[in-house]
Amino acid sequence: MLRLKTVLVATCALGALLPGAATLAQTQGGVVDVAIIGEPPTLDPMMSTADVVSIVTQHFFETLYTFDENWRVVPLLAADMPTVSDDGLTYTIALRDGITFHDGSTMDAGDVVASLNRWQEVATRGRGLADQIASVEAPDDSTVVITLTESYAPLLSLLAFSNSAAAIMPEEVLGGDEVSDIVGTGPYRLEEHRPDQYIQVVRFDDYVSRDEPSSAGSGHRAQYLDEIRFIPVPDSSTRVEGIVAGQYHYADGLPTESFERLGDSEGVEPILLAPFGWPVFAFNLKDGLNTDQTVRQAVQAALAPEDMLLAAFGDENFFVVDAAMFPESYVWHNEEGADLYNQADPERAAALLQEAGYDGTPLRILTSHQYEFHFRMAEVAKIYLEAAGFNVDLDVVDWATLTERRDNPELWDIFITHSPFLPEPALTSMYSSTSRVGWIDEEKDAIFDEFVSETDPDRRVELFADLQRLVYEQVPFYKVGGFNALMAQSSDLHGITPTPWPYFWNAYLDQ
Amino acid sequence: MLRYILNRVLGMIIVLAIVVTVVFVIVRLAPGDPAALMLGPDAMPEDVVELRARLGLDQPIIAQFLRFVGQIASGDFGESIFFDLPVLEVIGQRAEPTIFLTLFSILIATSIAVPIGIVSAYYRGGLFDQGSISGAMLAASIPSFWMGLILQQYLATDAGWFPVSGYGGPDASFADRMGHLVLPSIVLGVVNSALIIRFTRASMLDVLSDDYVRTARSKGMSERRVVLRHAFKNALIPVVTVIGLTFALLISGAVVTERVFNLPGIGSLVVGAVLRRDYPVIQGTLLVVAGLYVVINFLIDMVYLAIDPRVRY
Repeated sequence: MLRLKTVLVATCALGALLPGAATLAQTQGGVVDVAIIGEPPTLDPMMSTADVVSIVTQHFFETLYTFDENWRVVPLLAADMPTVSDDGLTYTIALRDGITFHDGSTMDAGDVVASLNRWQEVATRGRGLADQIASVEAPDDSTVVITLTESYAPLLSLLAFSNSAAAIMPEEVLGGDEVSDIVGTGPYRLEEHRPDQYIQVVRFDDYVSRDEPSSAGSGHRAQYLDEIRFIPVPDSSTRVEGIVAGQYHYADGLPTESFERLGDSEGVEPILLAPFGWPVFAFNLKDGLNTDQTVRQAVQAALAPEDMLLAAFGDENFFVVDAAMFPESYVWHNEEGADLYNQADPERAAALLQEAGYDGTPLRILTSHQYEFHFRMAEVAKIYLEAAGFNVDLDVVDWATLTERRDNPELWDIFITHSPFLPEPALTSMYSSTSRVGWIDEEKDAIFDEFVSETDPDRRVELFADLQRLVYEQVPFYKVGGFNALMAQSSDLHGITPTPWPYFWNAYLDQ
Repeated sequence: MLRYILNRVLGMIIVLAIVVTVVFVIVRLAPGDPAALMLGPDAMPEDVVELRARLGLDQPIIAQFLRFVGQIASGDFGESIFFDLPVLEVIGQRAEPTIFLTLFSILIATSIAVPIGIVSAYYRGGLFDQGSISGAMLAASIPSFWMGLILQQYLATDAGWFPVSGYGGPDASFADRMGHLVLPSIVLGVVNSALIIRFTRASMLDVLSDDYVRTARSKGMSERRVVLRHAFKNALIPVVTVIGLTFALLISGAVVTERVFNLPGIGSLVVGAVLRRDYPVIQGTLLVVAGLYVVINFLIDMVYLAIDPRVRY
């Protein structure tokens, strides 16, 4: 019988668990072992959009801004929110004084300018913004001025995001494409990295924390732990056994089947992060069958998300059948276009196919066993699509092959991926006309352009609702639903805020 | 003799040259892109193209091959794309767990298999023989990952006698690290003992019916002396061969077992490198492993000389 010690957390309720609120009995010291899903492909947070890179590197690199518990942008290395000119083109950012890098040097505006310039050159999210940035300058040692070519509302969200992060590093380590040393300003510094064995980070004694109360990853960052060891454990069963045996204090990315076992184990607390993210079928609008909007609408009409999610996650505790692109806890939540979701209507799909003049060309779904739930959804989708009259080819490859093939529009019609719910819609690349989906449409582009340049928050919410409606009308991608993520922690570990990118400042162990 | 050794060394060099070429071609023929994997799921296609160029992966295959051969000839195995470290250093970091896992596994396998094989042959057709044959088949049939998970759950998670996985943290002593190898060594030892039991038994059966064994018995020697001094010594050649090949197999990486126990050995290195398309690591590791294979084979031949005076080259 599963004991009710599960920490079931909705994003909207994070505040109740925040370290700032739990000020009792924190103890200084201790070493925490964290089982992560694999070896990060790099320790340079600018270079990768992989979540495992963000999870590790956010402990030693910091950004100018970050997010609070309500996904509002708040300052981190910046002293305050920026002063924005009336035309929305100039952001003047005052920097905090007395911030020390792990190499002992002091952060100044020159380091920030060099870091942001490199971010525009090498980081996926920075490169996407490079055309909008006219200049990044340092009028004095403690001020940075970012000048845009056109107003761009998601700028601060991009500067705050730990994924493909605009991390601030000393100018001296930014000589070329590669950073020469892992040197940041974070509460922990990199001590030793043995690939596939551990990444050892230790408390940075000269860290200067912000004074505001902790709110998710923002505000005060307490350094209770002496040391954190991130241990790559690619096999999910081994992560489960390790946390149950007490070998790890925290284990990320656990299989949903292990939920009951975790709940029944002494000294272990399962953490169900609900909602975590959304699986998505991305359509190829550049080449092949899905360049025809009617065919895409037929796919949308045929699919049965509830069955797909049940096959993928096995239990209703782990998914939600939901049309909205963002859960209710987000300001972006709306129900526009929801009537076109969850149709599971093969007759309507067949009629749409007939209208499109479908000639039996196979619909190629590119997927992988890397994420088993992708494959399971693909299998169910295949049955429903065939019932509607599609010929379906499942192209099941390893993840490395998938990431290569999806860049060639001639090789696929749909590829399956997923994403955590991100703080800001503009961080999702599929809305952009330059993404590999290739969603180019006059009405959409007009809405999206206004969305990214509009600075009024309420108007942006309205514009996003319009954008969501267009997603369901034009079907550039298909959100299958929402899913929850399962993690676990040992009972003697406290101060953890459930998030897709778990962090361990503010965490502490029982004495 | 010297001529034989020189011929073998020449043969080894040719084998390694073939391995270099085949490995290079195969890893390049496989689809997949290290740049896309490094940049992560949200990378734009143009970012991938640029990183490929920076890594030199946009060069013609022939140019990449010539550069690779030139590096190998000068003893440089290149640098890992993902770890940003020289390949030989990456392999060196993985050598300890793999070498000790191999040694312990072989020790366990031979300790189990050789006595059972000898007794089984001696009591051919008896209850012990039937039981050992069935046991060997069972051991050979058990998937190593399953046995690993079972041992992990009962001896590590439930009993707490051994660590579940990994190879110890930064402050782990040598003894701690070896403690992490006990369960995987048992798994590999049991699984690999099956073949050695069968070879020992078959080889012993051959020699036990030979004339010199009958002669030894007719001279009134004790059965113990006949079996261990006369029969077993002459039965050793095939047994040494299979032990040597098992050793070579294990040193090249016990892929599944290393993954189940999260051991940072050669096997997990190769698997990780293939999944990440870390070409220099795949090439370098396979070359080192192939080198070890041919050297171990060569050493097995040398051992023949020592244990069987009939063998001459």
